[in-house]
Amino acid sequence: MSNAADTELRAGYTTLGRQVALPVLGLAFLTFLATWVTTFQWIDESRTVLGLTVLTVFGVALLLMAAGVAGIGVLSRFGYIDTTPSPTAGLPVGIVFGTLWAAIGMAVSFQYLGNTVLSWGPVALVMGAVGLLTATLPREDIGSTVPSALLLAVLGGLIVAGVFDASWVYEAEWTGAIFPGSELIPLLVSGATLLGAWSAGKAKEGFGAQGREAGAFYIIATVVFSMLSVLALLIWFIVKNGLDTFLTGASLTGGHLNVPFTGLSFPFVEVPFVTNVTGSLFVETPGVMPAVVGTLWLVFGAVLFAVPLGVGAAVFLTEYAEQGRFTQVVEVATNGLWSTPSIVFGLFGLAFLVPRISGGNSIFVGQLVLGFMLLPLVLITSRESIKSVPDEYRDASAALGVSKWQTIRSVVIPAAMPGTITGVILGVGRIAGETAPLLLVFGGAPYPSASPNVVGQFSFSTEPPFITNQALLEPASALPYQLYSTITAGVFPRPEIYSNQEFGWGTALVLLLVVLGLYAIGVASRLYFRRKLHYE
Amino acid sequence: MLQQIQNRAGEFVRGVSRRARAYRARTDDEALLFHAAAGFTTLLTFVMFFAGSEWTVIPLLAFVAVIVVGWQRQQAEVAMGLTFLTTIVTVSILTLIIGFLLWESMAIVEHMGLGVFTRIEKPLWTPSEGGVYSLTPMMMGTALTTLVATAIAAPLGIAGAIFISEMAPPTVREVVKPGIELMAGIPSITYGFIGLTILNQYFYTEFRTPTIGSYFAAGIMIGLMALPTIVTVAEDAISTVPESMKSGSLAMGSTEWQTTKSVTLPAALSGVSAAVLLGVGRAMGETMAATVMLSHTKGFPSPAFDVFSNYGETLTTVIAFEGASASGIHLSALFAGGVVLFFMVMLFSVTSQWIEWRMHRKLGGDQ
Repeated sequence: MSNAADTELRAGYTTLGRQVALPVLGLAFLTFLATWVTTFQWIDESRTVLGLTVLTVFGVALLLMAAGVAGIGVLSRFGYIDTTPSPTAGLPVGIVFGTLWAAIGMAVSFQYLGNTVLSWGPVALVMGAVGLLTATLPREDIGSTVPSALLLAVLGGLIVAGVFDASWVYEAEWTGAIFPGSELIPLLVSGATLLGAWSAGKAKEGFGAQGREAGAFYIIATVVFSMLSVLALLIWFIVKNGLDTFLTGASLTGGHLNVPFTGLSFPFVEVPFVTNVTGSLFVETPGVMPAVVGTLWLVFGAVLFAVPLGVGAAVFLTEYAEQGRFTQVVEVATNGLWSTPSIVFGLFGLAFLVPRISGGNSIFVGQLVLGFMLLPLVLITSRESIKSVPDEYRDASAALGVSKWQTIRSVVIPAAMPGTITGVILGVGRIAGETAPLLLVFGGAPYPSASPNVVGQFSFSTEPPFITNQALLEPASALPYQLYSTITAGVFPRPEIYSNQEFGWGTALVLLLVVLGLYAIGVASRLYFRRKLHYE
Repeated sequence: MLQQIQNRAGEFVRGVSRRARAYRARTDDEALLFHAAAGFTTLLTFVMFFAGSEWTVIPLLAFVAVIVVGWQRQQAEVAMGLTFLTTIVTVSILTLIIGFLLWESMAIVEHMGLGVFTRIEKPLWTPSEGGVYSLTPMMMGTALTTLVATAIAAPLGIAGAIFISEMAPPTVREVVKPGIELMAGIPSITYGFIGLTILNQYFYTEFRTPTIGSYFAAGIMIGLMALPTIVTVAEDAISTVPESMKSGSLAMGSTEWQTTKSVTLPAALSGVSAAVLLGVGRAMGETMAATVMLSHTKGFPSPAFDVFSNYGETLTTVIAFEGASASGIHLSALFAGGVVLFFMVMLFSVTSQWIEWRMHRKLGGDQ
């Protein structure tokens, strides 16, 4: 560690190790990207680059990386490069390499020696031990470069030599599926590049504590980067596939915005896919209007049910109850409700609410069941925000002679409102996309021809229960339910306009817009209120 | 043992009677009347609703009347009573769920005995009056998809949590964290639709799985969905570790990564494992993606870990797929599936809560 202090501080300072490690890192990154592009079939694996197939290029890249990584390791061991290695790479590294070697040994002997433990067991054990020892026994600069270089070289060599190519197939003993080289090789190579990036990252910082930090950073950053890419891909898939359906017949000024009670009408954005009914023969573009209306009613009812209950319970738990056995029980029950699988809520609604309220699937039962699911989230978030109201507020109010309830009503609840509202919005985003319970207690015809008309259906009578609303007691459709029934129904009723999948993608896009819109509002309001709290 | 229980019971009774006396002392007669009336009408409403009476609306209206009059005369007391009532309602919903699950699954246990949970010989599932119902293949399916999902979500989730709380520069964190939360917001049916149209097709054409849809493909999608839960909860746990512990380590000259690896992670280990348990619970209860993607064929893959087999049914998918059309003993079997699911998930959830609670106590928490 003699020169640990001066590595980073000199301007323009480079070492040979750094000069080799940086290109290796870059190569690893590019190869990693390329393997995934190949896996997603954006590049076909049979395409040729400079006269070599894509897979061969991968092999060459692996060999280059292996040479670079091993080179730095060896040069460092014999003192040609200025590094600060530890005496050993450490047991965790050894375990990783041991497991990798053991897995390779197992896979190979499983295939060629037979599938009894006696035949593959010893091979895997010996290979594992070799991997463990080669990584841990030598000094760190060898231990963390040569074993991974060896793996890269073996894989790259097999690919370049043509043993592994696109037509090679791994037919596993243990399953009916097969693993063709065209798919398996990119996956293996992408794993190998991670290993190479780790070794090169360590080498770049000259091994030792700094090197380990760099190595860990490269691995973890790649993982997080891939995670976000998956998220972006998911959203991109839906937008790409759904946009055409969504925009059928859409125009910026084709629609009308009618101002109520005045008879005025303005040109307005027109999106028939959102404003038309699904199952009628008389509309030009079938749309998801009934599902949108159904979702709105569901969310409205659930909020109406869950928010008073949740906020009330939160107030009782934080302001009135003594912290003790009772609050603990409520807490466990709340968390229990929160983690209860959604389909179980559906079963409960089916057994308890359906026979007592509507005798069949209905909007009202759907609202209640989603309300049950929303309740714990409202309770937890509003409890948190009531707790975070500073005690000074309460004390100041009490010092003015204001009673406890008045304090709660005019000081605590207003101060806790922002957090509660944010929690409710995030919760609504969650239940708006919930499907499973709706299958059991809510869903009706797969392609409804009219939106549920809840407002116009209230009727009064002298019989109990005096007020009834037929629309609330009938099944309907909601966006997630619409998507599910589109998937399961198989054929869209008017295939000349949309195929089943096109309609599905369009519905998914509308659903995504609704849910992500709610999330965006929730997250933005949280940021806004947090800033306000901090800077006031 | 008996003595201990007696002591506990005595303590409980004394506690209750002490509270009752304290309550009586600070509540005047009129408020007491309103509390009693509100409590009685609520109870009556519930009992009549439970019995399925069409007259349920009468006690409900009476309750509303009591609240309206009480609000005029004794606002503070009535408000407190109402908040207490909402708390009771919250707890009783969970109680009702457990009660109804157990009650509805009685019929199948009477019909099949415990075989409904253990039977492994064919026939496994013949939905008809007096048929055979065995939940074992579905439990197997749930175990397989959950294993695949955990294998994906746990390492990635922990890595993500470490990145967000320990490594990322503030600007990157501002992007990554809401991004991950957004991922939690995408509805499960959307994941399922993508899995069905893209992932299932991919495995079917490239890996030639025996059917479209396999435990592996569904497991990948479920893993992606459980990922945000693990990242968020694990990140919370890691940021609970007091700054002073990290500063101490950094002041000794260790690098950020050494601090993370040897100080922060060991201190947050229980919280991180709680996050993983919670994620496993989520993966188990995940319904829609699996329902859409799996083939709904019931049976045991051979060997047991063959995740590409032509079988595909889990506890959640069988309920979602058959629940809407089932009746009688068939429905009861689905309820039994719900019982297994509920208690497994509850086990994971309670364990993870207990671990978190212990960790907060150990580190002094931030309250």
